[in-house]
Amino acid sequence: MAQPHPKQKFFEIIKPGSNFEFVANERYWIGLSLVLVAISLIMLPLNAYVLKGRGHVLNWGVDFRGGTELMIELSKKVEPGDLRKAFSDSGYENADVVRYTDPSGRSQDSYIVRLGAVSILTEAQAKQAQQAISKEGDATLHKFEWSEGGDKIYLRYDKTVDPEHLKTSLSAVGVNALQVQPFGRPDEHGYEVTLVSLDSELRRDIDARFGAGTVQAIPQVQSVGAKAGKQLQLDGARSLLFAILLIMVYIAFRFDLRYGPGTVVALLHDAVLTVGAFAITYKEFSLTTVAAVLTIIGFSMNDTIVVFDRIRENASRMRDKAFDRVVNISINETLSRTIWTSATVFFVTLAMNVFGVGVIRDFAFAMNVGVIVGTFSSIFIASPILIWLNRKYVESQKSAPRQAREPRRPKRGDMDEAKA
Amino acid sequence: MERSWWWKALLYGLVTVLAALYLVPTVSYLWPDKFPEAKLPSFLRENFKKRIQLGLDLQGGLHLVYEVNVDKAVNDKVDRIAGALEDRLKANDAALDLAVTREGRDEIILTFKNPAQQAKVDDALLREYRRQLDLVDRSATTGVVRLRLDPDQVEEIRDGALRQGIETIRNRVDKSGVGEATIIRKGTDIVVELPGLGAERFESIKRMIGRTAQLEFKIVDDGSEYMKKVASLVPRDGAITIQPESWTEKDSGKPHEDVYLRAKSREAIEKFFEGLTGENALPADHEIGYEESQGRNDAGDLTPDKVWRTYYLKKRAALTGEYLTNADQNWDSQTGRPEVSFEFDHQGAAISERMTRENMGRKMAVMLDDNVKSAPVIEGVISSRGRITLGGLGDPMQLQNEAKEIAAVLRSGALPAPLRKTFETQVGATMGGDAIAKAKFAMGIGAAAVVIFMLIYYRGSGLIANIAMILNLLFMIAILAAFEASLTLPGIAGLVLTVGMAVDANIIIYERIREELRHGKSPRTAVEAGFDRAFWTVFDAHVTNFVAGVVLYSYGSGPIRGFAVTLLVGIITNLFTSYWLSHWMFDVVVNRRGAARATLSI
Repeated sequence: MAQPHPKQKFFEIIKPGSNFEFVANERYWIGLSLVLVAISLIMLPLNAYVLKGRGHVLNWGVDFRGGTELMIELSKKVEPGDLRKAFSDSGYENADVVRYTDPSGRSQDSYIVRLGAVSILTEAQAKQAQQAISKEGDATLHKFEWSEGGDKIYLRYDKTVDPEHLKTSLSAVGVNALQVQPFGRPDEHGYEVTLVSLDSELRRDIDARFGAGTVQAIPQVQSVGAKAGKQLQLDGARSLLFAILLIMVYIAFRFDLRYGPGTVVALLHDAVLTVGAFAITYKEFSLTTVAAVLTIIGFSMNDTIVVFDRIRENASRMRDKAFDRVVNISINETLSRTIWTSATVFFVTLAMNVFGVGVIRDFAFAMNVGVIVGTFSSIFIASPILIWLNRKYVESQKSAPRQAREPRRPKRGDMDEAKA
Repeated sequence: MERSWWWKALLYGLVTVLAALYLVPTVSYLWPDKFPEAKLPSFLRENFKKRIQLGLDLQGGLHLVYEVNVDKAVNDKVDRIAGALEDRLKANDAALDLAVTREGRDEIILTFKNPAQQAKVDDALLREYRRQLDLVDRSATTGVVRLRLDPDQVEEIRDGALRQGIETIRNRVDKSGVGEATIIRKGTDIVVELPGLGAERFESIKRMIGRTAQLEFKIVDDGSEYMKKVASLVPRDGAITIQPESWTEKDSGKPHEDVYLRAKSREAIEKFFEGLTGENALPADHEIGYEESQGRNDAGDLTPDKVWRTYYLKKRAALTGEYLTNADQNWDSQTGRPEVSFEFDHQGAAISERMTRENMGRKMAVMLDDNVKSAPVIEGVISSRGRITLGGLGDPMQLQNEAKEIAAVLRSGALPAPLRKTFETQVGATMGGDAIAKAKFAMGIGAAAVVIFMLIYYRGSGLIANIAMILNLLFMIAILAAFEASLTLPGIAGLVLTVGMAVDANIIIYERIREELRHGKSPRTAVEAGFDRAFWTVFDAHVTNFVAGVVLYSYGSGPIRGFAVTLLVGIITNLFTSYWLSHWMFDVVVNRRGAARATLSI
């Protein structure tokens, strides 16, 4: 073999010619991975039924759960218990109240509040309101339409009523309306009541209880109706499924069938472990997390493909070697690249995790986990499956012509072979 | 250097300059104090206007998703049909013992006390309602007839309501003066994004948008003393002009004369009327209607400018859209011009007949949500059927479109389907400011770490990789600016990830080159072989990420889409910069004129 130029220097951490044994020790690694997968899966029912204070398989964000999430900045210290009590007195049961440190330092105290409700009106209040406005002047109410979670009420009377007066009657029973306007035909005497939004109502409630001006700001509000939440859940699940399917198709097209299952199992493995990390830490699992999982799937594939590309190339060059040796050599040859790529992506996302805010932070956390498991899976999950499939379907067919056993090469690879 | 290298140099140079130009508006938008727009050369200001928008999470604002409350609209419609049906059956036989009940959302059940009377629901009656109702079953023994709303009607309601919803929301948002709003239809939802909106306006804007639109018919009070007086009060500064108009009644030939105000902005006229007080104030029983239309120049040709004109209206609206049962665009059989035909129901016909008889020769304004959509002259008594003939000369295609639009407004106005808010995000501007600062910092740290690593590990070649990476960011942002994409927090994450991907491609290629060098190849052949052999690996990696990005884009919503867009754009530009562009830069290093290099700094 030709020697490199004597003055050619490289800055290397992992020296070329490294020969770490990956393949022979695979069962330990697969064992470790199985344990982690098992933990991830067990965490889901544990979260839902056993662990106190959790109550859901994953800490679903409001976008999946439906409901309202608010960030509230207060001008004075308020204990979380008091705040929770205030909410439940106003009719919002089971409010999730989590203190957080306001990065800007503008406020004395700050909370993330999650409520199941999206509208200010509860079932009981609606009944009460219906009672209260059943007679407006000499007009009688004969239709009261309100669906739970709706921010509007539709009323129908037998005579014309004064919208302003209706608004006053409603607020007398604690139902604050933004506006009341006629709706439909004049002879039907219909009215549309638009309720005030939940954040204004909460601000009012807190200020009434803890003193005016307690709520300094509500910098962020997100509310998701139950139906939209279901839709988003469905979209999230569907997107994961489609991504996996499309990637499988691409792999089948670019490599041969033996390479497919390994990549897909590795990819599922990564997805499960990332979700597992969210189950263990009980960090909020939102749409952004799904986006991160999809990105991880892309990256994990990327890793696996780099290793597989090399295996395919080496398999055609090293025909005298056993297939599992070829795999081990290929993993070693690509090791430097695998480690450096993963390390840089890891550090970039770590910076986002440490210094970022909100969505970016959740996203970066998922990426951190994903990069580690993705690198792991391309070496210790995808490759053993490839070897196993090769052993089962290719090496057992001793009578088959040799050429047929070779993996299909891309065009460019063929040209290289011809040149050599 | 080879000739092809120079061609590439020219191409890459041009692309870079173009990208830099596209970046100018974005830079001056993000740092207005350092790069004020006014100081830019005029050719830049005129030719490169597109820029990146800051997403909602970065500049604060409202993101709302509405769905059409179809159930409510359908329910109301079936209620109304049931009522009309009962009136109709009892009209000939007041003593008829008939119970009309409703079941579910769509069904009407007629129960005749005397079972034989169910025959009153005869073919003629069913034919009359064939567009609206389907006969489910009937029984001569129990006297029960079951009817259901035609399923096509449900679709029509949904469709019409969505179109109307978008239209009205757009009008309302335009009127509120919130810039940069996007209102789009996504499936059966209406998505409204209002970036840059102050938190103090959230409530009022939401109230405004969520209100159900009403279609009303109002009479134009022409030739009024009030408008003549107003005309003399209009300031002569040219912002508002006074326009006379006249027409003659078709049958009697009686002339009508009127004046109206016209201006480029509706606010200008509104302000003017608000300023009128005391005896000049608008009479309580009248109001001003506004119509937006295409401007015309002195020669009568259309100009691209929009203008607003006023109508002096009688406030009382006796006739509203709910009395309409149908509206269509068709053609006048005599003149062949496009027209809009419409039908009122029984009650509506009675009101309309009285209204048109009393106001013959006047104009009747069709108003949707405070805007006049059309104001045709009443040329005959309209009871149950009427038509609007579009006047004026003009392009027949345009007239037809106009007619179609009016028909759509009338049709959807027949049923105000309320909008129901299903998703909402509101972000205060301060939140956005913090987020930007943090995101910038995180991104800076991440990028700096990568740059330093590449320089230490690959030295001279690391520099090439870094240049390629910076160019990649430049191209990415330029493309995003050209698409006027909005940059969200996840979008920034996407940018940072692209940096990671760029590094990956470079590492794959460089490790390959190193291998070739170790095999004793000269730098020149090693670079060639390295790039050649790494191509498919790099390409595959990009494709798989691209697939994930496409799926994200199609299923994601809001900010996730922002992430997907940056990812997709980044993947494409990255393949270009980290493969072809850095290959070209390597050619400079290894092909320098004179002695061939013996070693490579990699």
